[in-house]
Amino acid sequence: MSNTTMIKVEHISKQFGSLKALDDVSLEVSKGEIVCLLGPSGSGKSTLIRAINGLETPESGKIYFEGEEYDKNNAAKYHQQRLKMGFVFQHFNLFPNMTVLENLTLAQIRVKKVDEKQAKDTAMRYLTRVGLSDKRDEYPNKLSGGQKQRVAIARSLCMNPDIMLFDEPTSALDPEMVEEVLEVMQSLGKEGMTMIIVTHEMGFARTVADRVVFLEDGHIVEENEAEAFFSHPQSERAQLFLSKVMHQ
Amino acid sequence: MFPAFSKVVTLDNLFILLKGALLSLGLAAGSLLIGLAIAILIALLRFSTKKICHIIANIYVEFFRGTPMLVQIMYLFTVVPIVISMIVGHRVRINPVIVGLIALSLNSGAYQAEYIRGGINGVDKGQKEACETLGLSRTDMMRFVILPQAFRLAIPSMVGEFVTLIKDSSLLMTIGALELFGQANKIGNIYYDYMTPETISIFYYLIMTLTISYFARKLEKRLARSV
Repeated sequence: MSNTTMIKVEHISKQFGSLKALDDVSLEVSKGEIVCLLGPSGSGKSTLIRAINGLETPESGKIYFEGEEYDKNNAAKYHQQRLKMGFVFQHFNLFPNMTVLENLTLAQIRVKKVDEKQAKDTAMRYLTRVGLSDKRDEYPNKLSGGQKQRVAIARSLCMNPDIMLFDEPTSALDPEMVEEVLEVMQSLGKEGMTMIIVTHEMGFARTVADRVVFLEDGHIVEENEAEAFFSHPQSERAQLFLSKVMHQ
Repeated sequence: MFPAFSKVVTLDNLFILLKGALLSLGLAAGSLLIGLAIAILIALLRFSTKKICHIIANIYVEFFRGTPMLVQIMYLFTVVPIVISMIVGHRVRINPVIVGLIALSLNSGAYQAEYIRGGINGVDKGQKEACETLGLSRTDMMRFVILPQAFRLAIPSMVGEFVTLIKDSSLLMTIGALELFGQANKIGNIYYDYMTPETISIFYYLIMTLTISYFARKLEKRLARSV
């Protein structure tokens, strides 16, 4: 394992009832890399990214973060590891009982123990970054889907993560709002943020990703540099998948 | 009809009934608040990682929801004082209003605990996951994210509980508490006319319950808009 490896997934499997969501999956992501997980729905890509964050616990296999294995029995360390990961959900999961600013400061104050003033400064910096500084005092229900997702991204960034995980960040958005979210993600990538992204936005994956991982039925079917994957998919299943999604 | 209508319907008697109504309202409000405290305590027990806490919480809820309220009231008024007397060694005098307040509170606590549970279950699962990814502790998650939303979801049921308590406070008549129905009965005893005071008491109850329901509907509409 090279010292720039950030995430290492080793032979993980995850079962939901009779459904094998992940079957002996291994993956490595280096610092600064942008990896897109593609595949038809039910392929296991969401389960994989959730397992990387610890939202799902695989039945077998190991996951390493920055060289150290996840160990739920070592709660303090596991907590620290998870804190270095930002996670963005398909359905945003903003806290509806708090203003945008409170959404961004809560974990900073309660978890990172920064004082309120500093937490607000950090929050405003990231809100400005995603272009929503004027929404600081709004409640989430007053925001559009695209705005909610940008706030959710800002909320994750406030925790100063080493890596950002995106689980279908634009799938719940109206088409005209997809672009504003992708732009924020693209600019993050340009700044060198390590990212793993589950997405159905093929154009975005092609331009932004360094590497594409294609999953189907809980297996990694193909893994390649983004440009190579899209221009010359090797496996039959990837070819079939791409021919379907590219000609919608 | 109305055997002693003109004797019963005097300002004095209407005022006595009003005092009874206010006592009913006070008993309902008091037991709603004490019940809420009990319900929060039960929610905390249920949130605990210790199994014994869950068992205690469940026994409490099932006991008070599974036995008739009238029996609970009578038991607390007649049986419990005897037990206390045997322990302390002398006869204890108890105030029916205090006993009534305790009985209503204990009972309401069990119901409100269920409303809070329903509220907590109604909070979107994604909220918990978001807290997890942000590293919030279980306690902070409950305090800042889950419970505020759960309470909001439980408010309509809580208002319903207030109305229920106003009505159920009439059961305290059986132990001699002079709430609205108790007063109506007492007036009935004096004039040998139950029809008049009890009919008036119905109007008093309706004024209280319909007013609360009216504001509850308004509140619900406002909550629905803001979520």
